[in-house]
Amino acid sequence: MEQTIERTGRAQEGGRPVPKRRGSSESRWGLIMVSPYLIHFVLFVAGPLGASLYFSFSDYDMLNPPRWSGLDNFARMGGDPLFWKALKNTLYFTVLFVPLQTLLALVLAVALNQKLRGLKWFRMAHFIPVISSWTVILYVADAIFNPRFGAANALLTRLGLDSQRWLQDEKLAIPLLVLIAVWKGIGYIMVIYLAGLQSVPGDLYEAAEMDGAGSYRKFRSITLPMISPTTFLVVVMSTITTFQAFEQIYVLTGRGDMSQAGGPNDSTMVLMLDLYREGFTFLRMGYASAIAWVLFMILFALTMLQLRVQKKWVHYD
Amino acid sequence: MKHKRWSRTAAYLAVSISALVMIVPFAAALLNSLKTYKEYTSVPPKWIPAALQWSNYSRVLELGNFGQYTFNSLYVALLSVAGAVLSCSMVGYAFARLRFPLKSALFVMVLGTMMIPPVVIIIPHFIIFNKMHLLDTLTPLWVIEWLAQPFGIFLMRQAFMNIPKEYEESAKMEGCNPFQVYVRIFMPMVKPTIATLVIFTFMGKWNEILAPVIYLTSNAKYTLPIGILSLGGQWVGNEQLMVAAALISLIPILALFLFAEKYFVQNHANSGIK
Repeated sequence: MEQTIERTGRAQEGGRPVPKRRGSSESRWGLIMVSPYLIHFVLFVAGPLGASLYFSFSDYDMLNPPRWSGLDNFARMGGDPLFWKALKNTLYFTVLFVPLQTLLALVLAVALNQKLRGLKWFRMAHFIPVISSWTVILYVADAIFNPRFGAANALLTRLGLDSQRWLQDEKLAIPLLVLIAVWKGIGYIMVIYLAGLQSVPGDLYEAAEMDGAGSYRKFRSITLPMISPTTFLVVVMSTITTFQAFEQIYVLTGRGDMSQAGGPNDSTMVLMLDLYREGFTFLRMGYASAIAWVLFMILFALTMLQLRVQKKWVHYD
Repeated sequence: MKHKRWSRTAAYLAVSISALVMIVPFAAALLNSLKTYKEYTSVPPKWIPAALQWSNYSRVLELGNFGQYTFNSLYVALLSVAGAVLSCSMVGYAFARLRFPLKSALFVMVLGTMMIPPVVIIIPHFIIFNKMHLLDTLTPLWVIEWLAQPFGIFLMRQAFMNIPKEYEESAKMEGCNPFQVYVRIFMPMVKPTIATLVIFTFMGKWNEILAPVIYLTSNAKYTLPIGILSLGGQWVGNEQLMVAAALISLIPILALFLFAEKYFVQNHANSGIK
């Protein structure tokens, strides 16, 4: 219906009738040109979604066809201490990481937004970790946090303090992983914030200055509310990616050895790593799919919660 | 006024410290890559090597499968880039400029796909590639890029939508079909967006770790990030070489970044507005 209106509207605009054949050939070309995505959707999205949902209710080892097992996988998850530990670690990681990165990135972006000279160079410096692979980050982080010959322990020793095992310490491992992840990702979030800050109209600040508002007041009452949609987006996006964190933990704690990843003593075991092991190491594809769906559901619930809470603090004009 | 100067000074200070925190670890890693093994592992650390061991870098290139990993990474990244540019621009063009049945429903599907966390589909993907006998080949790492990824479609669609109508009208008058209009008129007009897509895809594939870990089993098939990690076993007593290897793997991305910084930043800034 809408299409017909649009078509006649356009025909009038051009002042001449649209020949019938052109419309049908346009439809044909349209469908041909979107066909790569159609294949993509059927073969690599819809099909897999259905399959993985089915697997999550089945026993499947890839050698024999999947066998329906009802809720067995989910029941098993309930009594699997490693799953609970992975879930707890994932939540812990996310709760530390998302607020810390968001806050620091905002502070940096606000500082950079003061039309500083050399803005380009500062921005570039913060982007180098962003463009590095986790393998590069491993050896860069090693220069500082290697327990034997890293700079951090040298400094602690110099100050007369005990040296630390860093990533090999069960208590320190996750906070340090968070710190390294913030360090790597902050430039990315900072640039998103910079774009947000540049869209805040300058006359708002001028008006506030006329009323005698100081910089803190201006930040509180203008900047924060004006960029709250960006903050919301950043928080939702980072939560989704952090919940599925795999590469950083695999590389930084396993150093390429899957059996070491998540260590020491499973203290950095996260859901994606647990899922990988169940599926690809032990070939329990059914159980791994069930973990994937639980992860998805938690993520979905978290996103819904964030969408609900946003009404209280996100301002759209 | 005095107040303003103070806040600028504070801003400079914060940003400079932060920039140092970003750069110093890279400098330390660079120095590590130029040490002898003895210097690399000495306690307390020896910051500056007695003589810069540039030969570490040439040794990396000669040893192990490093050359093979580089080739594999380039192969995957370049095929992915070609696929992404061709497919995303074509699909994005159709969504932006053509009318066809079910268009809006299909576009909702594209947006929906962006919301699905990859975790729920990686196992079926693995099973599909297993059925196709493509495990332990590089194909699973690039082939999906030829079928238009949602982010790229979205990016290209936005670019095509910004071009005024008159351009296609005149081309149609000359009897071009929609595909010809897309190739001859529209593609040359969205070069900056294509550059963004190229960089985004190249960097993503070059740095990717999860998919290679899932799909590749033989060492000669490894891409750089996982290949370098696998050298640990072979290079016991030569770990400083791995630092050099990792830094070599950063060079192409770094070069791309230094040449085309604005496209990196543009892309990331745009992703905030999607």
